[in-house]
Amino acid sequence: MTNIVEARALVKNYGNFKALDGVDLTIPSGAISGLIGPNGAGKTTTLKALIGLCDVEGELNVAGRDPREARHKLMEDVCFIADVGILPKWLKVSQVIDYVEAVHPKFHRARAEKLLSTTEIPANKRIKELSKGMVTQLHLALVMAIDVRLLVLDEPTLGLDIIYRKEFYDRLLNEYYDGNCTIIISTHQVEEVEALLSHLMFINKGKIVLDAMMNDLAETYTEVIVDPQKIERADSLNPIHIRELLGKKCYTYESVSRTELESLGECLTPSVADLFVAKMKETRHG
Amino acid sequence: MDKIAWSQFQGLLKREVLEHRNLFIWAPVILGLLIFVIDFLIITSLAEENKIAFVTYLARFFNGGSPMEMSGVFVFPTLPFLGILYICAILYLTNTLYQDRREMSVLFWQSMPVSSLNTVLSKVVTIVLIAPLFYVAVVFALYLIGILWLIVSGLIYDVEVAGLGYMFLSAVFSLPVVYLFAATSALWLLPFIGWLLLFSAFANRTPLLWAIGSLALILFLEGFIFGSQFLSNWIETRSDIDNFLIIEFGGIFDRLFSYDMLIGIGIGSIFICGAVYMRRFVD
Repeated sequence: MTNIVEARALVKNYGNFKALDGVDLTIPSGAISGLIGPNGAGKTTTLKALIGLCDVEGELNVAGRDPREARHKLMEDVCFIADVGILPKWLKVSQVIDYVEAVHPKFHRARAEKLLSTTEIPANKRIKELSKGMVTQLHLALVMAIDVRLLVLDEPTLGLDIIYRKEFYDRLLNEYYDGNCTIIISTHQVEEVEALLSHLMFINKGKIVLDAMMNDLAETYTEVIVDPQKIERADSLNPIHIRELLGKKCYTYESVSRTELESLGECLTPSVADLFVAKMKETRHG
Repeated sequence: MDKIAWSQFQGLLKREVLEHRNLFIWAPVILGLLIFVIDFLIITSLAEENKIAFVTYLARFFNGGSPMEMSGVFVFPTLPFLGILYICAILYLTNTLYQDRREMSVLFWQSMPVSSLNTVLSKVVTIVLIAPLFYVAVVFALYLIGILWLIVSGLIYDVEVAGLGYMFLSAVFSLPVVYLFAATSALWLLPFIGWLLLFSAFANRTPLLWAIGSLALILFLEGFIFGSQFLSNWIETRSDIDNFLIIEFGGIFDRLFSYDMLIGIGIGSIFICGAVYMRRFVD
C-alpha cells in the first residue's frame, strides 16, 4: 500500500508557542484517517501544513508533491473543508457552483446539482441566508463533485446539530468514499467518527502520540478490569492509564501480551474514546 | 494562456465583480442617476424659449463637425465618474486581500487550485481594465438618455436635429478615450495600487491605516535621516492629475510608452510581488 501523506519532523512556531513539535505522519492511500486531539493540540495547523496553507519546517510529501512549492497544483488533487463558516457569505449558491466550475478542472457540475437536488438548498439564495447545516451540505456537495485523491476535513461538523452531523458522515461514507480516495478527518468528537475510521492518529501538544491502523489497535492496546487481589501485579506491568469502572479499577496497557493480562482479570479492547483519554493523560503526565 | 487557465482567470474576474458590485456597478449607477435627476430638474425649470435655444445651440454646435475631434468635449463631464472610481478603487484595493481573511472565507478560496499570483493579478486586472468598463457603460447610458431626450425635444419644438446625431457620435467616440484614460491612469498610479494591495494582503486589521501610516513613517524617516523630500515630491508629481489627465488618443499612447510610465509600472510590480508573497505565506 502506498502512502498519500508522508511527513517527517514538522515544526511550526507561532512566537514562543510550538504549534507543531516534530510531527511525523504516514497516511496510507485509500484510508479514512482520523486526526484526533483536544482543542489547541495542533490539528488545524497539521492539516493546513498538508495543503500548503501554513509554512512549516520538515519533510512533507502529499500526493507526490511538496505543498510548500506548488500549492495550487496540489489542490487539483486535494479538497479541503474547514469548519462550517468558510464559504463566502455574499455569494449565491448558483454563483459558488459557477466559480468552482470555472476554476477546478476536475469539478462535475451535473454531479453537484444532482447532490444539491436531494437537499432543500435553493440555488438563488445567498450563503448568508442559509443555515449552518445547509452551508455544510452545500460545501460537501461541491467537494463530492470533484474527483480528488485526498479529502481533508477539519472539524467539518463543528456547530451542527446531530441530524446534520449524522447526515454528513452517512453521505460521505455511502455516496462518496469508494476506497480509491483518502479522507483525513480532524475532530475532537471521537465517538462521532470512530466507526468510519480505518486509520487513527492522536495529536497532543504538537506531537503525534498515536499512529496506528484501526485493525491493529486490538493487538496493541488492552483494557483489563483488574481483580482487586491482583492490583500489585497489574501496577508492575506499566499501565498507560488507570480509571475507575463501577467500583473496580480498569487498567489500559500498550504492547503487553494479552495472554499475560488475562491472568489479571477481564480483558477488553478499549474504545477509541477510552484510548484517547488514556493517551492524552499519558502525554500530560509522561 | 491555455483553456483551463483562461477559464480560471475569467472565474476570478467574475468573483471580483460579484464581490465588489457595490463599488463597480452601484456606485456609478447611483452617481449617474444623481446627475440625471439634477440635469432633469435644471432643464425642466427652464422657460420654453430657453429650452428651444438650448437644443438649437447644441444641434448647431455639433452639426457637421468631426465626431473624433469633438469627442474631447465629452471627456470632461466624465470627471465626477473618474473621481468616484478612484475613491472606490482605494476602498477596493485596501479590502480585497483583507476582507476574506477577516471572514475566514480565504480558506475556501485557497482550497481551490488557483495560485496566489493569479489571485492578485485578477485584482490588478479588475481595477485597471474591468472597473473602468462599468463606469464607461454608465456614462454611455447617461449620454444616450440625454441625447434621446434632446432629439425628442428638438422634434417637438421643430428644431433641426441632424446636429444631435453628430453629438451622439462625438459622445460615442469619447468613450474609448475615457476608458483608455482610466486604464492608463491606473497604470500610471500602479505604485499606489501595489502599495495598497501589499498592505491589504499583510495587515491583520485596518489595512488603509497601515498603508498610510507606513508611508508617513518612510517620509518622516527620509526627512529625518537625509534631510531630503525626494519621495514626497515624487508622490506629489505622480498623483497630480495634470500629469495623467489625457483627453485624446495620441496623448494616451505617448503616456503609455514613456519612461515615467515604465518606471511606475516597475515600482508597482515590486509591490504587487510583495502582495503575492504575503497572500501566499501570511497565515
